[in-house]
Order: sequence, then C-alpha cells, then structure tokens
Amino acid sequence: MNLALASLITLSVPLVLAALGGLTSERAGVMNIGLEGKLLAAACATAVVAVQSGNAVLGLLAGVAAAVVLSLTHAVLTQSFRLDHIISGMALNALALGGTNVVAKAVIDQERSLEGAYLPVGFYWAAAAVAVVAVAVYLARVRGGQWLLAVGNDPDKSRQMGLDPVRVRYGALVATGVLCGLGGALIASNAGSFTDGMTAGRGFIALAALILGGWRPLPTLLACLVFGGVEAAQLQLQGTPVFGAQLPSEFWGALPYLATLVAMVGLLGKTKAPAGLGRA
Amino acid sequence: MKAPALGLKEVLLALVCLGLVVLAVVVSGAAPAEALQRFVQGSVVGPASWRRTLQEATPLLIAGAAVFLALRAGLFNIGADGQLVVGAMVGAAVVLALPGPVGVGLGVVLAMVAGALWALPAGLIKAYRGGHEVISTIMLNNLAGFLALWAVKGPLKDPRQQTATTALLPSGSTLPDLVAAPPFRLNLALLVAVVVVLALAWWLSRTVAGYELSAVGQNPTAAATAGVETRAVTVRAMAASGALAGLAGACVVFAYERRFYADFSPGYGFDALGVALLAGSSTLALLPSALLFAILATGTTAVQLLGVPRGLSGVLLGALIVAFAVVRYRRRSP
Repeated sequence: MNLALASLITLSVPLVLAALGGLTSERAGVMNIGLEGKLLAAACATAVVAVQSGNAVLGLLAGVAAAVVLSLTHAVLTQSFRLDHIISGMALNALALGGTNVVAKAVIDQERSLEGAYLPVGFYWAAAAVAVVAVAVYLARVRGGQWLLAVGNDPDKSRQMGLDPVRVRYGALVATGVLCGLGGALIASNAGSFTDGMTAGRGFIALAALILGGWRPLPTLLACLVFGGVEAAQLQLQGTPVFGAQLPSEFWGALPYLATLVAMVGLLGKTKAPAGLGRA
Repeated sequence: MKAPALGLKEVLLALVCLGLVVLAVVVSGAAPAEALQRFVQGSVVGPASWRRTLQEATPLLIAGAAVFLALRAGLFNIGADGQLVVGAMVGAAVVLALPGPVGVGLGVVLAMVAGALWALPAGLIKAYRGGHEVISTIMLNNLAGFLALWAVKGPLKDPRQQTATTALLPSGSTLPDLVAAPPFRLNLALLVAVVVVLALAWWLSRTVAGYELSAVGQNPTAAATAGVETRAVTVRAMAASGALAGLAGACVVFAYERRFYADFSPGYGFDALGVALLAGSSTLALLPSALLFAILATGTTAVQLLGVPRGLSGVLLGALIVAFAVVRYRRRSP
C-alpha cells in the first residue's frame, strides 16, 4: 500500500474511534473532555496485559475494560453525583495520567522485554469503519439511537415522555468506553509499547474534530481524516526546507495542534451543539 | 445556593478517592505508613521543608488566582500551564537582554502581556465562535511547549550548557529574599502572590467590572439582558487570567529558578485548577487552598525518594478534585 496513505490511516483511526466515543457521549448530553484519559488508560492496560500475558486478545480486552471503567466513573460522577461534567472529565484525565504512570512504572519498567503481543492494526481499521457506519445507522434508524438523541436534546422532556435519561446515558457511556478503549489499544499497538503521556493530546484533537463535525458521524470522520492527514504530513515534511529555509522540528511537531486551533477559529460557529449538552 | 447535606453516598466516594491514593502508593511498592511519614517530613516539618512548600505555593497562588478569575466568568482556563510557561520564557529573555532592576520590572510586565496574548485566542474563540475553551487552551498548552522547547534549544540557549536551558540570570536581576536564614528563606514573590489574591478579592467584590464578570459567569443570558457586553467580558476575563498565569511564570523565574529551561512547568497549571476548584466561591480561600496543594506537591516529591513515581501527584489531584467537587459543585436534584 502507498506509504503516505498508510500513514494517514494509521494516524486518523485512533482519532476516529475516540471522536465516535465522544459522539455517543455528547449526543446523549454528557460533555466528555475525558477522551484523552480513556485513550491513555486503554493504551496502558493494553500494553501492560500484552507484555504480561503475551496474548493480544487479552490485551485488547484489558484496554477496553479500562476505558469502560473510566467512562462509567464519569457516568457515576455526572449522573448519580451530579458533578459538573467538565470538572469530572478533568479529574478523570488527571487520574488516568497519574495512574498510568504509576502502573507502568510498577509493571513494565523492569529488566524484561517491552515487546508484547498486539492485534494487527488492520483489525482496528476495520473496527473503526464498522463503528462509523454502526453509530450513524444506530442514531438515525434504531429506536435506541432516537432515545439517545432525545435525552441529549432535552433530558427533562425525555423524562416526561417516559425515558430514563440516566439509564440511557449510562448505556451511551459504555459505548464511549468501548470506542475509546479500541482507540487506546490501537495507539499502544501502533507504538508496540506504552510510554508516559503517549496519547499526546489526541483525545482533545478528537474532541475538536467532533465539534467541527457538528456532532454528526460522517462529518466527524472527515474532520478526523483532516487532522490525521496534518499529522501524517507533519511526519513526512520534517526536515524539508520551506521556501529555502530549514524549519525547526518543533514547528512541525506543533503543526497538528496549530491546525486544530486554526480550524476552531475558522470553522466553528456554523455547527450546533446538542441542546441538552452538560445539563443535569 | 446551599449544597444539600452530605449523605452516605458522598462519604463513600471520598473513601474510594482515599483508597485510590493508597492503592497507587501500594502498587509502586512503598509501605503506606513510611510514605506518609516521608510525606509529612518533606512538606511541613523543619525550615527546609517549609522553604520548599512556600516556594511551591507562590506559583500555585498566582496561577490559582488566574484560574479562579476565569472560573468566575464561567471559563475553564486549562491553559494556565502554557500561559505560565510563555510568561516565564519571556521574563527570562527580557532580563538576559537587559539585566538589573529595570529589566526585572520590564520582564514582569512583558511576561504578563505574553501570558495574556497566549490566552487571547481561547477567549476570542469562546466569545465569537462558541468553541470550548478547554480544547483551545489544551492546544495552546501544546503549542507553548513546542515554542519553549524551540527557544531553549535555539535563540535562548546558553552555549556553555549541554542541556536545553538559558544562562543563569545575573544576581541583582532577581526578586530579593525577605527572609534569608538558611535553610529557610522567604522570597518577595510570595508576598506578591498574597497581594494578587487580596487585590483579586477586592476587585471581584467591589468593582463594577468584577461584578459584571461574575454575572456573566453565573448567567450569561441574564447578564446580556441587563446590558453587559458578555463577549467583551469573556475575552477580557481570559486575557486577564492569562496575564496572571504569565506573572506566576515570571515569579518562578525571578524568585526561584533564575533561568528558563525545557519542561519548565511540572504541571503548575493543572494544580492551579485544583487550587481554584477547592477555593470554591471564596477568593480568600485561595490562600489555604494553595498552601494545601503546595504541601501535597512537596510531600509527593519527598515520597518519590521511596520509588513512588511522580504519577502519584496526578492520582492525588484527580482524587482530591472529585472529593471536593462532589461537596462543593453539586447541582441541585431535578
């Protein structure tokens, strides 16, 4: 396969999975700035279990489980304890960043090899493709998806209609956990091991893609491909002179974050957030 | 708004948070009792410990005030870390070019300007594009990191040093110690930090601009109806918050570190969020809140000597925010 295309897909798919995870959560009305933490926790769990057990499937399951646990914690804090969604997300990100550091130091940082067993990345690419279609169809055509949208638009009204917003949101957040778990497991599989803070803000870039995509599956996919493309281009262009001048590597490293910021300046304001986002 | 009484549920959650911290210590192979002893000794026992704790409290107070100010306007300034780094970098650069008291004064001012400018895009995106400030400030944090790395590897690098760092600022181009009785010392910067908090408390409660800012934070629609320019208030609040974070960075450079280097901030900005959240609705509560977080930071550093990785501070921060926020920031039941 074309190398540039492979690089584009490799870098986009974690964004796609994370952004879809954000989508199921936010369309149900739960703000989720904790995607980053879930990716990181999943990457760490996948790598740790892959090294310890040598079993790729167990590694993936551990990653998904870690992200689902974090996601359900977000559900408990925001729904049962009625904690502010941003505060809960920040706290869980801090827990994930600190916790993975502690766990990785305790378990991985030993004399033994860092190499673990990972599923081929093609599996994750296929999973992402299926997930995009599944989420799009589920929200548009399936009753459960309609419930999810109703709760996200107006939790009070949906309650009057006989829905239980808290239950719907718990379900949505399990889906968020599974999708972010896949994304995190892929990040670990791509790298072959876990390093501190290895997600490097991808959870937030995915969140930006979700918002730029107007909280709709296909435009979000497109936004993820653009951001993944910028990252792939950045890696390709490192060291290439621009107009005869040699740009420092820090400039190229900063490019994906700069692109996200520029996209927020240029493209936002045209999309509309779910009306019930962040409400009770 | 009075928070509902604490129930069994909340107590249980606090216990879970505590359990997580203990678990993190145990996982890293340290005995909890020994870790606790190290923690207390390293942070609050003896003059050397207090020096470190009060030093740590300085940026946490100022950056905490920065995050608090933004929070009052309904903004989550997660970008305090990047603004602090940019402020510290500019402060160091100014004094290296222009040593002496004038340079320090100019450095402080320009550090605040730099911090404000680094926060400004987030304010503008929030006010005019509706983009959430959490995402934009995280992007700006990453950009600040790359900018700082480039600067200390390139134009600001001290050619005599192997590592990516600036030269040491000349003595006489720093903030003076108020008390210097080794191993204890107390720098002017801490006084500056306390004054900043007092001034912020006065400004928020006694001026029209401060009142408008709180009004926008509590209910932007109502504030707009009452004739407040909510967009302008949002942009100004974010810029002011950035200026304070920049000041925090300048204080760390001029009072303690005396140089700027790669990976300058050990996460001051994120601790500052904890400081501001814990302070709740009272500006003056920033003082004890910053002191607590400073104790936690120095204590955690001391525990690291037992082989507990630095991630413990993240676990501690997350657990604390959850525990405090559940008490303070609960929404009323429907």
